[in-house]
Amino acid sequence: MKSREDKSKAELIMPTRKWHEKLNFLNVLLIIFLFLTLISVKKIIKGNRPADVMSGLNYFLKKFFPPDFSEFTIILNSLAETFQIAIVSTFFAIILSLFISLAAARNISPGWLVQGTRMLLNLTRTLPSLIWAFIFVIFFGPTPIAGVFALTFYSLGYLGKFFSESFESMDIKVALGLKLIGASRFKAFVYGLWPNVKAQVWSQSLWMLEYNIRSASIVGLVGAGGIGMELNKAMEMASGFQKVSAILICILCIVISLDLLGQAIRKWITDKISPKSISD
Amino acid sequence: MISVKIQNLGLVRNQKWLFRNLDLSIPSGSLVAIVGPSGVGKSSFLSCLSGLEESTEGKIEYKIDSNSVHTPETIRPNLGIIFQSLRLTEHVTVLENVIYGKIANYGIKEAIFGFPKKDEEAAFRILKELGIEKLAHKWTSQTSGGEKQRTAIARTLNQNPKLILADEPVSNLDTYYTGRVMGLFRGLVEKKKKIIFCALHDPQLISKFADYALSLNPENPEKWNLREINQNR
Repeated sequence: MKSREDKSKAELIMPTRKWHEKLNFLNVLLIIFLFLTLISVKKIIKGNRPADVMSGLNYFLKKFFPPDFSEFTIILNSLAETFQIAIVSTFFAIILSLFISLAAARNISPGWLVQGTRMLLNLTRTLPSLIWAFIFVIFFGPTPIAGVFALTFYSLGYLGKFFSESFESMDIKVALGLKLIGASRFKAFVYGLWPNVKAQVWSQSLWMLEYNIRSASIVGLVGAGGIGMELNKAMEMASGFQKVSAILICILCIVISLDLLGQAIRKWITDKISPKSISD
Repeated sequence: MISVKIQNLGLVRNQKWLFRNLDLSIPSGSLVAIVGPSGVGKSSFLSCLSGLEESTEGKIEYKIDSNSVHTPETIRPNLGIIFQSLRLTEHVTVLENVIYGKIANYGIKEAIFGFPKKDEEAAFRILKELGIEKLAHKWTSQTSGGEKQRTAIARTLNQNPKLILADEPVSNLDTYYTGRVMGLFRGLVEKKKKIIFCALHDPQLISKFADYALSLNPENPEKWNLREINQNR
């Protein structure tokens, strides 16, 4: 009788875990993050003189308002050029990224190729669009072509990463199954992998286009075409602040309408091209 | 006409023999049920037959029309597989998945401009036979498990291969559609002289539809057993 009790007691003992097994790494990371934020805020505040926010605001309102729309046609033309730079560079980046991302996807390509391609993508992402623009202005001079090259290279880093991650999230076995029943590698990709990944690729490309329209407004600051060049000119003039204000308002309107449009198209893509599984 | 000859086949998985010294000779027009508890090696045996997995020892030979001899690698144009995980393209319609059975015939043109109408109609007829014709233009991702399983079966039927390997093809189906699918398999075996290897659990289905039952033995891998089923249907 006693031995049976002892046995049932022994069965009740829960297996213990070591301290590091109990640790929740997400919580630890959050604590480290909060700690770093506190230190940084302290440092930033300490090194600066107290700001006179009100006089700053007053100066801003006096100089920038009312906005000067006297050169509205020039602004519109520059905005159109900005669009063109963004559209062309996004198109080239999508095409190139599709190939590059296949080489960077772990479930598709061999390890050495994946590592090499990812390093290349990291490198292109590291340089901001403005630096890319600066480099290509040296090659092509202050033209929109420099803007196109700059944004193509910049976008490659992002789209290559996004697309490869999308490919990696797909079940490659579907394509391999089609290969088993007679599909070539290309057909297995077109019919087995692409339909499952295309909604994500479209959505990411659209995001990149929105992003590039914003970036195309900036690259002009170093001479790579678009509305940025007008902005730069206006900022260099002593009396140009009201023009800067008009340009910024135009950019803001374009970016907001594009965000809304992008959101609507992305929703349509999710609903129509890639409906969720009924088990989700 | 296709026949299969398996000689001295053996497979090791995780340092353990799943089956060994397996010798089978299957004539054309046969439905072979592979039976045994889960994990016994039914799927691995099917993988060996398709060449997806290389056997540790022995060989598999397929003979088509008594003149050409094939290995699991070269039989593929004549091989149809119904995977346990189905392997359907989720974000295309049910009809498109069925049409993919004939993927070897298509190129980039069909990917852009769509498939020939007669192929669509042929695929639709198969969907109708399996009772899922109403789902033809529905996204595969939005169908149920049983409907997906019937789609995968329809894809293989549309492919019309000489050899079919089916890994538990009726596991998600109700009694009615289980009978219907097994009846279709029986028809392919009897009328078109195909060979179907089918992992099955239900003894009633085996005695009703199979010609042979191959039992694998996890305790003793060499003691597999091939039983011929008396067909008085």
